[in-house]
Amino acid sequence: MVAPGALRVVRCGGSALRGARAVFSADSKYLLYVSGDFVKVYSVNTEETLRLMGGHADLVTGIQLNPHNHMQLYSCSLDGTIKLWDFMDGIPIKTFTVGTKLLALYTLASAEDSVFAVIPKKGERDTFQLVSVTLTKGAGQDLEGKELSVVLDGVGASMKHIAFGREVCSPSGFFFLLCSVGWLVLVFFSQMNCIFSLSTTKTKGGDNRFSCVVCHPKEDCIATGHADGKIRLWRNFHDKKEYTYSTLHWHHDIVMDLAFSIEGTRLLSGGVESVLVQWHNESSCQKDFLPRLGSPIEYISMSSDGDLCCTLHTDNRISIINSNLRFSRSIQGLIKSRDVKTGLVVDPRTKALVLNGEPGHLQFYSLQSDQQLFSLDIVQRQYIHQAGLKQSDLVKVAFSAQGTWLATVEESEEVTDPELQLKLWFYNEEIQSFELNTRINTPHDNHITDMCFRDMDELGDDSLILVTTGRDCVFKVWVMVEDTDPEGDVSWSCDFVGSYHNYQATNCCFSEDGSLLAVSFEETVTVWDSLTWDLKCTFCHPPGNIRNICFGRLTCSKYIIGATDYGFLCCWNLLTCALEWSAQLNVVVLQPDPLSEYIAAISWLSKESSLFVFKPNEPLPVYIQRNLCKDKILLAAFVPRDEPEITSSEKYPWLRKSQLFFLTDTQICETKILLTFFFKLAVEESLPVTPFSLLLGKHRHQQAQEDTDLGKLVVHNKQKQASPAVKELLHTPAHVLPSASFLCTIFINSLLISKEKKSAEEVADEVEMESEKAEDDSDEEDITAMEQEDTSHMELLGEMTCKLSKSQEKELRKIRKMDYSWISAL
Amino acid sequence: MGEFEVHRVRFFGLVPAGVRCLACHPRGSRLALARTDGAVEVYNFAANYFQEKVIPGHELRTVESLCWAAGDRLFGAGLSGDITEYDLSGLSAARGVDGGGGPIWSMVANSTGTQLAIGCEDGSVKIFQVVPGGIQFERNLDRRKGRVLCLSWHPSDTHIVAGSIDFFRVIDVTSGQTVQRIMVNHHVEKAKRECVVWAISLLSSGTVVSADSFGRVQFWDWEQGTLAESHTVSTSAALSLAVSEKEDSIIVGTSTGATYQLQLLPVTLGGQEKRWVRTKPFQFHSHDVRAVAHSPTALISGGLDAQLVIRPLMEKIQKKSYDAALRKFTFPHRRLVSCARKARLLLFQFSQYLELWRLGSTEETGKDGEVLPLCQMPEHLVQLKSKGPEHIYCSCVSPCGTWVGYSTASRFHLYRVHCDGDGVSLRKVPKVPKLLPPAYQLQFSADSDSLFVASARGSVHVFQLLEPGGCKHLHTLRPPSGVEGRCLPFLPRGSAQGGCVAEVSAVVPSVHCPLLQHHCTVPTYNCAVSALAIHPSTNNLVIAYSDQQLLEFSIPEKQYTSWSRAVQSRGLHRAWLERDSPITHITFNPKNPSHILLHDTYLLCVLDKSLPLPDDSTLLMNQSTLKQLPETARKRQLHAFKICKKFQPLLFMDLLDENCLVVVERPIMDFKTQLPLPVQQKKFGT
Repeated sequence: MVAPGALRVVRCGGSALRGARAVFSADSKYLLYVSGDFVKVYSVNTEETLRLMGGHADLVTGIQLNPHNHMQLYSCSLDGTIKLWDFMDGIPIKTFTVGTKLLALYTLASAEDSVFAVIPKKGERDTFQLVSVTLTKGAGQDLEGKELSVVLDGVGASMKHIAFGREVCSPSGFFFLLCSVGWLVLVFFSQMNCIFSLSTTKTKGGDNRFSCVVCHPKEDCIATGHADGKIRLWRNFHDKKEYTYSTLHWHHDIVMDLAFSIEGTRLLSGGVESVLVQWHNESSCQKDFLPRLGSPIEYISMSSDGDLCCTLHTDNRISIINSNLRFSRSIQGLIKSRDVKTGLVVDPRTKALVLNGEPGHLQFYSLQSDQQLFSLDIVQRQYIHQAGLKQSDLVKVAFSAQGTWLATVEESEEVTDPELQLKLWFYNEEIQSFELNTRINTPHDNHITDMCFRDMDELGDDSLILVTTGRDCVFKVWVMVEDTDPEGDVSWSCDFVGSYHNYQATNCCFSEDGSLLAVSFEETVTVWDSLTWDLKCTFCHPPGNIRNICFGRLTCSKYIIGATDYGFLCCWNLLTCALEWSAQLNVVVLQPDPLSEYIAAISWLSKESSLFVFKPNEPLPVYIQRNLCKDKILLAAFVPRDEPEITSSEKYPWLRKSQLFFLTDTQICETKILLTFFFKLAVEESLPVTPFSLLLGKHRHQQAQEDTDLGKLVVHNKQKQASPAVKELLHTPAHVLPSASFLCTIFINSLLISKEKKSAEEVADEVEMESEKAEDDSDEEDITAMEQEDTSHMELLGEMTCKLSKSQEKELRKIRKMDYSWISAL
Repeated sequence: MGEFEVHRVRFFGLVPAGVRCLACHPRGSRLALARTDGAVEVYNFAANYFQEKVIPGHELRTVESLCWAAGDRLFGAGLSGDITEYDLSGLSAARGVDGGGGPIWSMVANSTGTQLAIGCEDGSVKIFQVVPGGIQFERNLDRRKGRVLCLSWHPSDTHIVAGSIDFFRVIDVTSGQTVQRIMVNHHVEKAKRECVVWAISLLSSGTVVSADSFGRVQFWDWEQGTLAESHTVSTSAALSLAVSEKEDSIIVGTSTGATYQLQLLPVTLGGQEKRWVRTKPFQFHSHDVRAVAHSPTALISGGLDAQLVIRPLMEKIQKKSYDAALRKFTFPHRRLVSCARKARLLLFQFSQYLELWRLGSTEETGKDGEVLPLCQMPEHLVQLKSKGPEHIYCSCVSPCGTWVGYSTASRFHLYRVHCDGDGVSLRKVPKVPKLLPPAYQLQFSADSDSLFVASARGSVHVFQLLEPGGCKHLHTLRPPSGVEGRCLPFLPRGSAQGGCVAEVSAVVPSVHCPLLQHHCTVPTYNCAVSALAIHPSTNNLVIAYSDQQLLEFSIPEKQYTSWSRAVQSRGLHRAWLERDSPITHITFNPKNPSHILLHDTYLLCVLDKSLPLPDDSTLLMNQSTLKQLPETARKRQLHAFKICKKFQPLLFMDLLDENCLVVVERPIMDFKTQLPLPVQQKKFGT
C-alpha cells in the first residue's frame, strides 16, 4: 500500500473491453467482462455496472466462472496472478501467484484443484505453452500457484485457439482441442501424449488458417473458424483417416469467433462484417442474421441458459443479444479512433470528454461511468470501409463557455486540396441534442489549425465570437448575425480576416476577459484587440515555431504562455510586453486549468513523459512528476470537479477544482492492438482489500485527513466521512467479517463526532507513541525513496529547480508517521 | 523460329451432351453412363477410368435409366417406353421391349439382378424377368395415379419404394400391394409448389431416403410413416441420390451443380447412437447434377454440363495411386477429328452431322511463340447431315481430301468431295457394298487409294477406291480364331506400303498385323489400347495403353524394340503415369524418325527416343525451366519427354508436314456458353 498523500497515476477508463470473452453468470443476471485491469460486473436487467473488481496490476486476459461454485470467478492477468473472486460481493477470495505472464485461462469441471492457462515459453519468443496450474489449498489469501505442468507446447496465444471438449465416457477421458495457424490438434487428456493432428497438410497457403475453435457441448463435434471465412464442423476426428468435416460458408473474411448454444443446435459466428450469423442444426441453408452491429465482432459468448448472448466488438462495445437474435442493449466504452485529431475537449454541459469517435462522429465520453454517453454524427455521410478511400473526418472541435454552441471542422484526407467544412451547432434544449445551425464550406483555403470561442458568460450571446486559424496564413473571426427571415434565426458569417506577414497561423486563444486574442504565426505570437481587431503587440522567442499558446487566468491574466517546438516554454508579460521567464522544456501538451491559474505542461523527453504544473507568475513549477508514464501522452484535459475537493488542496492546490486527465497510446506487443487508456492523477488512498481493511483504511485515512487539516479552519463533516464505513460494514457478507466485538469499537468510533479542536500536542503525543512501531514499515522506505527521486529530478531540471521548504518536509514526515497509528490503537 | 508452325484450331464447335444417368456395375469394375442424346458409354475403372465402349445415340431413344442385371448385361429404359438391352461387344442396342406403361422414368434391378422394376408415366410399377436373350414381363404391382419418377428395391428384394410427385409409396413385392404412402410435404403448411421426389433409396434398416425438389434429403421410417431426419442441402432441387454399399454414406446431386455427401456418424466418440450428418460439399459442376453413383472408393457425379467427375474418398484408399486423384472427364476418349494432310482439310464429327473445314494459311514467319497473321481465313466448306435418326459412329477424310466416309449403326456412307475453286460439292458414292454394320473405325491409306473399315467381331474390310467415284470390296481380314467376337478392331494411322493394318481387341488387347494376311500378334497386355500408330519408315507399331504405358513393337522383327524394353525395365515417370486422360492420338515426324508425337486432352508431347528417359527425381514438364538455362546446362537437363501444355483441352493434333502442326482445341468456356443458363445463384462480390 502506498501512503496517502502521494500523487499517482490511476488508469481510470477507456480501457479495452475486449481483453477476453465475456462471461455470463450462471443465472444470466450478470455479465462479467474485462475492462483493462479490471473485471466489471454488469447487471443485464438494470443495464448498470454494479461492481468494479480491481486488483490486478496489468491487463486481465481471461475470466472463467469457477465450475464448482457459480458465484466465484477466476481471472488471470498479464501480471502473473490468478485471482478467485466472489463477484456478487466484488471481493477477492484468493490470489495465486504464478509468476509468468498468463495469456488465457480455462477451467474444467473435472479438474478439481487446477486450472489451465497459456503462458509464454521460457527462453523462446512467440511460443506459448498450455499449462495446468495447481491451485494449492491454503488458508491465506495470497497463495503460490507455481506448480505448473506443461500440457502442450506450441499453442496459440489467443484464448480462441484452445477449446476444451466434452468429457468422454470411454477410457480416453475428456479431450481438448487446440488450433493454431495451420494445424488442429486433438488431445485426449488421460493419455497426455495421444495427439491427433488434423489438417496439417491440407492447408496450403495462408488462406484457411484456423482462427478459432469451439466444441459442441453435447456431441463430439468441433467447429473451427478459418481465415477465409469458412466454418468447418469436424466429426469422427478420433480416426486419423475417416475424420470428416462439413463446411458452412457465409463470412467473406476471417471468422473471428464462434459459440455453440447450450444444446448445440445453434452456432453463432461473427467477423469483420459486423453481422452475427446463427446457423441452425449445422445446416448451411438455415441461417439467421443480425446485421448492422456497427463494428467487427471479436468475441461471442453465450449464457448458460441460452437466453442471451453477447458480442464484443472492436470498437470497445459489448452488445447483448436475445436468443431470437434481437439486439437488446449495449455497453459502449471509449471508441479508439485511429487518430484523435480533435484533442480532448470537455463539454461544459455534461463535463464529458469529447473526442473523435466512430469515423465522422463525435463521442461524448463520461469518465465517471467509463461509458460513452452520446455519439454525434458530424460528417453525416456514409462511411465506407475501404482501404485507400479518402474519407472526411472531424479534425477540430470547440465548445462555447456554456456549451450552447459547438463548432466543428471536418476535412477530407486529401493532403493538397482538403475539402473543408466548418459547422456550427446549437444545443436544442427540447431535443437535448445539438442541431446544425450553419454550415460554411471552405472556411479557409488550407487546413484549419486551431479554433476557439470567445467565451464570456456575462456578456451574453452578442459577445460570442469564433476564431479560426488556417494554414492559408490568415485567421478569421466569425460572428452571429440575425437572419432576415421572419423566424429570426441566427447564422454565422465571417467578420474579420487578419494576417501577419503572410505567416501560417497556428494557434489562437482568447484572454480570460475576452478583450485580447492571441494568434501565433509560426515563430511569432500576435496579440489583437478583440473590439477593433488592431494588432496590439507581438512576441517572439526564436528559433522555433510556436506550438501552443495560452493566456494566464485569474491572478495571472497578464501573462501569456507559449511553447515552441524548439523546446522552450516562454512566459511573456502583457503589460510590459517583455519576456517574463523562459524554460527549456520540450512541451507536448500545454493545458491551462479553466478554473484556476495553474497550467499543466507535459513534456516528452527520452522516452518518458513528465508533468510540470506551474503558475505563470512564478518561474518555478509548483509540481513536478517525472516519468509520469512510459507511453507518450498525446492529450490532456482538466475536467472541472463537481465540487472542489478540499482534502488534497494543501499539497496539490492545482487539483482542487479540476482533475487532470490524459490520454496515451498503449501498444501491447503480442497482439499489436492499440489500446487507449485514460489516466487521471489522483491523490492516493489506501487500497481496500477486504471489507475489514477497507474499514480500517477509511479510518486511517480519516485520521490522516484530520492531521493534514490541523490548524485550518475547515468545516469537516465527520458524519459524511463515517457513513461509508458504516455502509461497508452493513453491506459486507457476514462470513467474511471479523468478530463483532472486534468491529464494535470501530463502528462506534465512526459514529462519534470527533473533536474538531484537538490540540496539536495531543496529536503529537500519539505520533510519538506509534512512530516506533511504524518505523520498519516498508512503505515508509518507499516514500523516502520517492522523495529522493523527486529531488534528484529537480536537480536535473536545472533552471527549474525547486525545493521543499523545511517546514513542508517536516509536515510531510509527520503525516507519514501518523499513518498507521490507528492499527495498533485497535 | 519455333520447331513447328502450329495451326491452332478453335472452330470445332463440339458440345458434348449432358450426363443423364449413371449405373455402377455391382462388382464396381465398370460404370455405365447415358447421355441426354441417348449415347451410352462404359468406363472401366480398372483401366484408369478409360472410356472403353461408346454406343452412339439415337434420336428416338432417350435413356432415362440404366441398370446392370444378370451379371454383365446392361439395360436401358427411356421416355420412348421401351426397355433396351445393349450389346456391349457389338456396340449396338438390341431391339427394345415395350414396357407397356407409357414413358419409363426409372428402372432398377434387384440385388440379384434377376428382375427389373420399371416406373412408368401412368403410375404403374412393373416387374420384368431377365431371361437369357432378353426380358420377359412378369407382373404389375399396385398402380396409383402419378408418374413414378424413381424406384428402389430393398436389399432383401421384399419391398420396392416408388417416388412420385408429392408422395412416395412402399410396395410389397410379393403381394403387389402398396403398404405405405407418405406425403413428403404434408407438414408444410399449404405448400404452393408441388414437391417432386427426384430420387429415393430404401436402406436395409427400413429407412427411406428421399431427395426432393425442395432441396431436402429426408430420412423416413416407412413402417411408421414418420420423418426421422430432414436435411436441407440446397435451396434448389436435389435431383439424384446414391447410397454406398455399406449404407454409411450418401451422395446427393443438386440442380445448382453442387454435390453433397451425407455420412452416418456416431454422435459421440465410441457411442452407439448414429446420425446422418451432411459433411462435404463439392462444387464440380456448373449445371444440374442429374446422376450420381457411389462406388466403394469414390463419389461419381455426372451433370448436364457433360462432365463426369470421379472424386475419390481419400479415407477409403489405402495407398496413393491413380485412384487417389480427382478425375474429370468432359471430352470423349476417342478421336472426333480427322485430317486430310495434303489437302489441309479437317473433318469434324458431330453426333448427327459432319463438318469439313479448310485450314487458314499464312505467309509470314515469326519467332517462337509469336502469333502469325492469317492471309487466308479458315473456311467452312461443307456440312454433311447424316440421314435418319441414328447418330454417327465414326468418320474419316482421306489424306488427299477427296473422300469422306462415315458410318451409323446401320449404314456405311462414302462421299466424294469435289473442290473446284470456291465451290465444294459432295457426291455420294453409289453402290457401297453392304457391310455387317456398324463400322467402328475408318481409315484411308496414305495414298488414298484404299479404305479400311473396322467392323464387328474384329474383322477389317478393305475397299479399293476407284476414280472418279466408286469403290470395290477387296477382301476381309479376320482375327485369329479364339479372340473373335470379343475384340474391337482398332486401326492405326500410317502404314508403310499402304497395306499394313493393325487391329486391337480391347478386351484381350493383342495386336494383329496382317499384311493382307495375319502377320503377327503383339503379346497381350491387360489394359485397353487408347491409341496406336505404325511408323511409316521403320514399321514400328507404337501403342499407348489406357494405363499410360507406351510400347513400341517392331512389326518386321515381331518383337518389342530395344527402346521399348528399356522403357519397360526403367519404368515411366511417375508424373506421366498419374496423368488424367489417355493418349488419344499418335503420329510421327517424317523429318526425325526418333520423334513420336502424342497427345491427350491436356498435353502434347514430343517423345524423343534418342534422349535419356527421365527418372522420378527429375521434373517431367521441364520445358519452361529449360528455357531459362544456358545452353550447356540445358543439354544435361534434356530428357525424352518434351511436353507442351499450351493447348488445352486438346481434342486433336496431327502433323501436316515436316514443320507444320495442327491442333484442335475446344476451350471449356466456349462450350459452356452454349449450354443452357445454370440455376441463378447469388455469388458474393458479383
